[in-house]
Amino acid sequence: MSFVELKSVVKRYGQHTVLQDVSLKVERGEIIAIIGRSGSGKSTLLRCINGLEPVQAGEVWVDGVAVHDPASDMRALRAHVGIVFQSFNLFPHLTVERNITLGPTIVKGVSKSDAAKLARDALRKVGLEEKIGAFADQLSGGQQQRVAIARSLAMAPNIMLFDEITSALDPELVGEVLLVLEAMARDGMTMLLVTHEMNFARRVAHRVVFMNQGRVWEQGPSSEFFAAPKTEELKSFLSSVLH
Amino acid sequence: MMRELSGLDLAYLILAMRWTVLLTLLALVGGSTIGLLVAAAGASRQAPLRHLARAYVGVVQGIPLLAWLFIFYFGLAILGYNLPPWVAATVGYSVYAGAFLGEIWRGALVSIPKTQWEAALSIGLNYAEQLLHVIIPQAVRVAIPPTVGFIVQLIKNTSLAAVIGFVELTREGQLTTAATFQPFAVYLIVATLYFCLCYPLTRYSRQLEGRLRVIR
Amino acid sequence: MSYKFQFRDVLAQQDAIFDGLLMTLQLTAGTISLGFVIGLLVASVLVYAKPWAKTMARVYVEVIRNTPLIVQLFLIFFGLPSLGLKLDVVTASLIALTVNLGAYTAEIVRAGFESIAKSQIEAGISLGLSGPQVFRHVVLIPALKNVYPSLTSQYVLMMLATSVVSQISAADLFHAGSIIQSRTFRDFEVYTVVAALYLALSLLMRGGFSVCYRLLFRRP
Repeated sequence: MSFVELKSVVKRYGQHTVLQDVSLKVERGEIIAIIGRSGSGKSTLLRCINGLEPVQAGEVWVDGVAVHDPASDMRALRAHVGIVFQSFNLFPHLTVERNITLGPTIVKGVSKSDAAKLARDALRKVGLEEKIGAFADQLSGGQQQRVAIARSLAMAPNIMLFDEITSALDPELVGEVLLVLEAMARDGMTMLLVTHEMNFARRVAHRVVFMNQGRVWEQGPSSEFFAAPKTEELKSFLSSVLH
Repeated sequence: MMRELSGLDLAYLILAMRWTVLLTLLALVGGSTIGLLVAAAGASRQAPLRHLARAYVGVVQGIPLLAWLFIFYFGLAILGYNLPPWVAATVGYSVYAGAFLGEIWRGALVSIPKTQWEAALSIGLNYAEQLLHVIIPQAVRVAIPPTVGFIVQLIKNTSLAAVIGFVELTREGQLTTAATFQPFAVYLIVATLYFCLCYPLTRYSRQLEGRLRVIR
Repeated sequence: MSYKFQFRDVLAQQDAIFDGLLMTLQLTAGTISLGFVIGLLVASVLVYAKPWAKTMARVYVEVIRNTPLIVQLFLIFFGLPSLGLKLDVVTASLIALTVNLGAYTAEIVRAGFESIAKSQIEAGISLGLSGPQVFRHVVLIPALKNVYPSLTSQYVLMMLATSVVSQISAADLFHAGSIIQSRTFRDFEVYTVVAALYLALSLLMRGGFSVCYRLLFRRP
C-alpha cells in the first residue's frame, strides 16, 4: 500500500458535498502540490488526511492506519503527521520554545532537556534559533509560520501537510518560508502542499493535483502539468492564475 | 431615644464593611464552584449538558436576587433547619453568582478560536490535554476583566442581605438611621463606603481590559 | 418532610398579584423610557462635550455604578425629606430607578458611540451630510444597533431590580409577596410564585426586545 491512500472519499458539510469520490495515492518521499479554486475541496482533502475532518464514505489510510475509522489510535498517528495552517495557529500564551516542546513532552513523553534540544534543532532548521524565548505577538507573520513549521518538525513526522501556508503572509515574507520548504524537500520529507504558489509547485513538487468541484480533476508530473494541461477546466484555471 | 450622629457611628459603619467583604468572599467561593460546573457544562460537547447549563443560567438570571434570598431563607426553614440569615444569604448568593460567573466563563471558553483546538489536536493532544495546556490558560486571561467587574456587582448586591436580617453595611446603616434620625448623612456615608470598595476594583477591571486588548 | 406545600392559597390571591404586577410594569416602563433619554444625553456629553461637562457626567456615572441601588433608593426616600424634599414612594422609586438606569445606559451607549470608526464619520461628511444628519445616521443608529443586546439585557436586569422598591413599601409585585405572606402564612410558596412571575416577565421582555430588534433594524 502507498504511504497515504484515499479511496473513494466522500465528505459532506450538511447538504453540501465538498469531496465527491476522491481517490489519491502518495508514496514515501513524494512531494505533491494540490491546486484549485476556492471551494474546490483542496483544504478539506488535506484536513481529512490527519483526521481533522471525518469522512462520510470511503477510506483514508496513512502509514497503515485507518484514519476513517473512529477506533483508530489517532494520537499515535498525529505524532507522525505534521500539519501547518494558513493562520499559523501558534499558542499565544506560550513562548516559541514551549510551543514546540508541548507536543514532544506530553504526547511522546520526552524529557524536558531532550525536548529543549529538539526545539533548538527544529528552530535551527527554520533559521530562527535566536527567537526561542519570544512570544508569537513579537514575531512577524513569516517568522510565526516558520515557528509553526518547527513545531511540527519537532515531532519527527513522516509526512508534512501544508494548508496554504503562505496565503496569509505579506509578499515579502513568503520567500523565507518557501526556502524552509525547499530545504525539507531536499531532505526527502514526504510533503502535501495546498498552495497558490505555482512557481514553487512547478520547481519543487514531483506531482501536481488539480481539484475541481470536489474531485481530483487532473493530476500529473509537475514538468508536464503546467506546460500541457489536458482538461479545459485546468487550462482556464491556469490562465486565470498565471497571468 | 435619638442620639447625635458621632464618630462612633462612623466607626461602626466602617467595621460593618467587614461583613460585606466576608459575604462577598463566601459568595465568590460558592459561586465559583457552581460557576465552574456551569461553564464546563455550557461549553461541553454534549448537548444535554449544554441545555442544562443554559436552563440554570436562564432561570437564575430571570429571577430577582431578592426573591432568591427569600426563597432560600424560607425554604431552608421549611427543611427544618433553623439557620442564621448568613447561611441563607450564602446559599442564595452562591446560586446567583454561579449563574453569572458560569456564563462569563463559558463565554471565555468558547471565545477561544476553533483553530487553537485544531492546532492542539494536530500535535496529538487529547481533549483533556487540549483544555489544560492550550484552551484554559487563554480563556482565563479573557475571563479576568469581566469576572472582576462581576465582583463589583456582588459587593453591591450584598446590600440586599440586609433585607433578610444579615447585618452588613446597609443593615448597619438602617440601624444607625433608626438611632440617630439622620438618614441623609448616614446613607451618604454608607454610599461613600461602598464606593471606596467598588471604585478601585472597577478601575482595575478597566485596566485589565485595556491590557488584554493590546495583547490581542 | 412534614410540611405540606399549599400553592393554591397563594394563587388565590389574584388581586394582590395583579395590582403588584401592574405597578412593576408601570415602574419598568417609566424607568426604561426616562432612563434611556437620560442615558443618551449623558452618553453624548461623555463623548462630545467640553472637558468640564465630561467630568461631571463621568462622576455621575461612576458614583451610581459603584454604589448599591438600595442605598440610592434609601438616600432619596429617607434622606431627602431631612433636606426638605418629601416624596411619595412611587415618585421616589421612579427617580431612584431612573437615575440608576441612566448611568448604566450612558456607559453602554458611550461604548456604542466610540465603536463607530472615524472613517465612517468621515465618509458621511464627504457625502455632504450635515452634522446632525451624520450623528443620526452614521453614529446614533448604528451604535444603538450594536449595543442593543447589552442595552436590552440591562433593561431586563432593571425590571428585576425594581423589586427593591418593595423595601420602601411601594406596592410592586415583590411587595405583593409580603401582603400575601401576611394573609396566608405560606412564606416559601409565596416567593416561589412571585419568582415564577418575574421569570415569566423576563422571558416575555426578552422575546419582546427580540421582536423590536427586527422591527427597528431590519430592512423591509
